[in-house]
Amino acid sequence: MAEFLTGAAFFILAVTALGLFRVLRSELAVERMMAVQLLGTGAAAALVLLGAASTSPATTDVALLLMLLAAFSCAAFTLGQSEEPGDAPAPKGDES
Amino acid sequence: MNLLLDLALVAWLVVLALHVARTGDDRNAIVAFIAFGLLLGLAWTRLGAIDVALTEAAIGGGITGLLLLRAEAHLRRGRQADGAPRQGGGAKTIVAALASAVVALGLGLAVLAFPSPAPTLAQPALAAIDATGLGNPVTAVLLAYRALDTLLEKVVVLLALLGVWALTPDNLWGGAPELKEANPPQPLLYLARTLPPFGVLIAVYMVWVGADAPGGTFQAGSILAAMWLLVMLAGLSPAPETRSRLLRLLLVGGPALFFAIGFLGFAVAGGFLAYPKPLAKALIVGIEAALTVAIALALGLLVAGPSNKAPAR
Repeated sequence: MAEFLTGAAFFILAVTALGLFRVLRSELAVERMMAVQLLGTGAAAALVLLGAASTSPATTDVALLLMLLAAFSCAAFTLGQSEEPGDAPAPKGDES
Repeated sequence: MNLLLDLALVAWLVVLALHVARTGDDRNAIVAFIAFGLLLGLAWTRLGAIDVALTEAAIGGGITGLLLLRAEAHLRRGRQADGAPRQGGGAKTIVAALASAVVALGLGLAVLAFPSPAPTLAQPALAAIDATGLGNPVTAVLLAYRALDTLLEKVVVLLALLGVWALTPDNLWGGAPELKEANPPQPLLYLARTLPPFGVLIAVYMVWVGADAPGGTFQAGSILAAMWLLVMLAGLSPAPETRSRLLRLLLVGGPALFFAIGFLGFAVAGGFLAYPKPLAKALIVGIEAALTVAIALALGLLVAGPSNKAPAR
């Protein structure tokens, strides 16, 4: 059972990583920020599975914290966005 | 399967780190760096260091990301005002890359040079844990065996805050730092109303569980600071004036209580920072609670920066 759960965690992390590199290379700033959300969700899911595989309940606490802080990071990303020229729905993050 | 997972995790960390280093745009690099912090938390969990994983997630995913994003927004504003293009020299990049490579190589050699069963104090630490009444050996090390280190660490956080406050211009001294965005977007307002209750609950849980399982003061303090910053960013509650007596008392309160209990140790337990055995756990949990408030305030104010509003007369 533990082997299967670890395998499932590996699969989730692999899919998350593929998604992550696709999203991080995106042209849109908002999409790149979604990378952090994606990783927060994927890593939390993997941690819950690994916690069940290794019977260490504290692993679930790490998953809890990752979820909370991934949501927080998204909020932090709005910093300085409001003064960007042009009120486009998805402002580009490129310089000059 | 475990080995495959660990190897893949290492590979992703290395690729993500290279991506952070190679990204030209500052904000993209910071976003990738936040993601790196979250993934590093997962790596620490795999190493069995859950306490470190919690700290890494709280600091790397929460406080550092916000601090870097604020610094970047500030720099960008300055550049827009100057109209000067961003300086990115080729020589500088090469020097930085070489320096990083040398440091990484040195660290790698140092790790390989460790003796093969590594010297460890884990057994004595576990053997003496009953005297403290705690269940988490990491908390026992931080607040009982090596309490002096923790005490000085908390004082250093206060000194860092003093350093930031010292950057305040004379006429603004004692005023409040300004964090609120000009037009906070609706989703931010929504998140700032819904997230903090969960955050505060998780932080209280972290302090309480820290005595017997992974968790503790610093993690809880960082979460509280992050939630407080979120509320200040959305403008739901303004940042406090730095001259506020209550604020300063709370900041000093945690370390002061730690010192007081430490000196009390001379009278009742025969040494600085020694706890009387039946009261050890109660004292440690009390110190942790007071320190959590002090750390949350100090970290929040560190990110908020020096005051940039004159104090209200």
